[in-house]
Amino acid sequence: MAAQLQFRDVTLGYDRHPAVHHLSGEVVSGALVAVVGPNGAGKSTLFRGIVGILRPLSGAIEHGGLDIRDIAYLPQTADIDRSFPISVFDFVGTGLWRATGFFGGMGKSARDKIAQALASVGLNGFENRAIGTLSGGQMQRMLFARVLLQDARMIVLDEPFNAIDARTSADLLALVRRWHAEGRTVLAALHDFDLVRANFPETLLLARGKVAWGATAEVLTGDNLQEARRMCEAFDDGAAACVADNLPSRAA
Amino acid sequence: MRRSSLWLFCLVIAAAAWPARAEDRLKVVASFSILGDFVKNVGGDRVEVTTLVGPNGDVHVYTPAPADAKKIADARLVVINGLGLEGWLPRLVQSSGSKAVIVTATDGIVPLKSGSAADPHAWQSVTNAKIYVANIRDALVAADSGDAAAFRVNADGYLAKLEGLDRDVRAAMAQIPPARRKVISTHGAFGYFAAAYGVEFIAPLGVSTDSEASARDIADIITQIRVAKIPAVFVENISDPRLIQRISAETGAGIGGTLYSDSLTGEKGDAPTYIDMVRHNIKALNHALTP
Amino acid sequence: MLLYDALIAPFIEFEFMRRALAAVIALALGGAPIGVFLMLRRMSLVGDAMAHAILPGAAIGFLLSGLNLFAMTTGGLIAGFTVAILAGVVARTTELKEDASLATFYLVSLALGVTIVSIHGTNIDLLHVLFGNILAMDDPTLLVIAFNTTITLLVLAVIYRPLVVESVDPVFLRTVSRAGTPAHLAFLALVVLNLVNGFHALGTLLAVGLMILPAGIARFWSRDITGMICIAVGSAMVSGYAGLVLSFQTRIPSGPAVILVAAALYVFSVLFGNVSGLVRQMFPGRHLEA
Repeated sequence: MAAQLQFRDVTLGYDRHPAVHHLSGEVVSGALVAVVGPNGAGKSTLFRGIVGILRPLSGAIEHGGLDIRDIAYLPQTADIDRSFPISVFDFVGTGLWRATGFFGGMGKSARDKIAQALASVGLNGFENRAIGTLSGGQMQRMLFARVLLQDARMIVLDEPFNAIDARTSADLLALVRRWHAEGRTVLAALHDFDLVRANFPETLLLARGKVAWGATAEVLTGDNLQEARRMCEAFDDGAAACVADNLPSRAA
Repeated sequence: MRRSSLWLFCLVIAAAAWPARAEDRLKVVASFSILGDFVKNVGGDRVEVTTLVGPNGDVHVYTPAPADAKKIADARLVVINGLGLEGWLPRLVQSSGSKAVIVTATDGIVPLKSGSAADPHAWQSVTNAKIYVANIRDALVAADSGDAAAFRVNADGYLAKLEGLDRDVRAAMAQIPPARRKVISTHGAFGYFAAAYGVEFIAPLGVSTDSEASARDIADIITQIRVAKIPAVFVENISDPRLIQRISAETGAGIGGTLYSDSLTGEKGDAPTYIDMVRHNIKALNHALTP
Repeated sequence: MLLYDALIAPFIEFEFMRRALAAVIALALGGAPIGVFLMLRRMSLVGDAMAHAILPGAAIGFLLSGLNLFAMTTGGLIAGFTVAILAGVVARTTELKEDASLATFYLVSLALGVTIVSIHGTNIDLLHVLFGNILAMDDPTLLVIAFNTTITLLVLAVIYRPLVVESVDPVFLRTVSRAGTPAHLAFLALVVLNLVNGFHALGTLLAVGLMILPAGIARFWSRDITGMICIAVGSAMVSGYAGLVLSFQTRIPSGPAVILVAAALYVFSVLFGNVSGLVRQMFPGRHLEA
């Protein structure tokens, strides 16, 4: 199967310090991948690199011919201005951006799609609420609905189940499984290993560099997890400029 | 001595004497262009005049620069208008630490009122201008008695010119039928002219350039023009001319050119000296108001 | 009839009143929507900053062609655009936020302007000359305001969607479209256009006031941006009309009169507005069943 995403020795970071160091590998089209690792492992940084918000410090990320703007992204801490006077309906409706552009009209079919998306995440009845009145969990569900509408070939979710109760998590997971069944490529950063083992066939264990990547059962072993925990979280201010390509990462 | 060395000797003496002669010139600072003109006419080449607010400047809202403090510090005399015109001046003089004598050119003039304050534009009446000149002459004489004779001669000559100017103004105004001696101008600076020569000036704004008109004020002026059939509207080189043009468009009153009130123009302008300024103004008034 | 005399007669009788009313309505139509976006993007003080930022442009216009209002306004526009665009670009490509970026650029611009003016030597208060008066609406000025409003409404219609999304969730917009930055810059250009032409025609107080106060008023009556824009435009028009009448019946200068009416509406909204009005907050009434 074709590779949807290719990491070519990519290093991503801030202010020249690497948060993801020399990652190589590929994600097959249609895969369902969980990205796990301790806090500070570089999961959010990696995702920002994938959707184009962060430019790599070195190396490259290739998207297999996919336009970067056709990737749906659900960020971890949304920079959303909750005081902005917009309704849930209109906010979710922006998910249709790639279809309507910034000038296209929103006909009946579009409005139906929006209503359906809201129903799928259990937010029917919330159409006219201002987004500032939503709880954390409702906000998360609303963002899910928007991702639904984006109808993207690749979906990147950064800790999507953080503020959500078990019942809603189950509903949203059903959506994720549906996407996988539809052949879309899905990556999700997660903390709950049980959830990962139960739902995600493939896992990347990240600790600022690749610790293990492959079938979930083989990746989430005690040894691997211990190795990941050993990685240091803080940036090393005294680090020299990185020279070799194949040396094992100092961080891990 | 030989001819050439005699010439050389004279040259050297002249050269040595020259700076001495220049140092004899009295340094005077005038606050704005009209006063500067008066001082030049009375002092002639015996004075070195610097003006703070130059041609086309606005003396009401002037912000002094550090260079001005230096000019004042070097001067022996500072000639000001007084009557509240130069609000920014007393602090400037104080901070410059100058030992100069301050001469108020309006001493002895009974001021007209503008609202609750005094109207400072006393120079608009040529009779007052003669008092200005007299005050300046006396101040120059007191400061430099060596040149007193020259000052008196200059002053007398200039006063005679002003006398002639006054007669000309009265003659020009006499040519205008009394019913038509009414004019609108943006800047209410012509109070003294109006009082001295019998022309009524109606202005939409107050005396300074800062206050803003209300709709009622404009409506009243338009009504007044319509009712009293005022023939002309004058625009000025300082305030917003668009207001005047609006009033003119709505009443049919003609726009009568520019009247100069607070400042002289540059060399190439219509009013490089005080006398030119007054002549220009009466020509414009005459032209607009005679039927 | 007394009411007729007070409210309608002044406009029938005097052409300058009709022109002032036309100008204020056009300004409301163009400026109020811009003001709503400024408020939502926390840029409400940009009006004052811009009033100073345009000085070097006006000064150069003055140096080149004397007291020619067209030259000075064009210069002011160029200076305003430069400051706005530079500030916007710096804010988006560096760590510096929008407000600090604008503050630094306008201060530089102002200093340049003061230097240019003082080198030349004349002390005419350039900005005073540049700023107009609503009672003096001549044909060219009315045309300028009408042109303004038309361009503003057209451009706003085009950039409305990206502008809204950019304001509420900029990261999302970046991931789906490249329209974010151009839309933002176009918005800044509209702000400058409205402000400079507003200054030229009506003076700082009215131009900025009719942008920002109506937006503030609208905030208290609507939770939806479309509703806010409508209320802002409406309250701007009412303020303009009532202000002119006030200036006619009493002797309050016209610019301040309009702003005073807007301010009264604003105070009323702060106290009694539907959305977070103070009185509403103190006496919310019984809570609902569900």
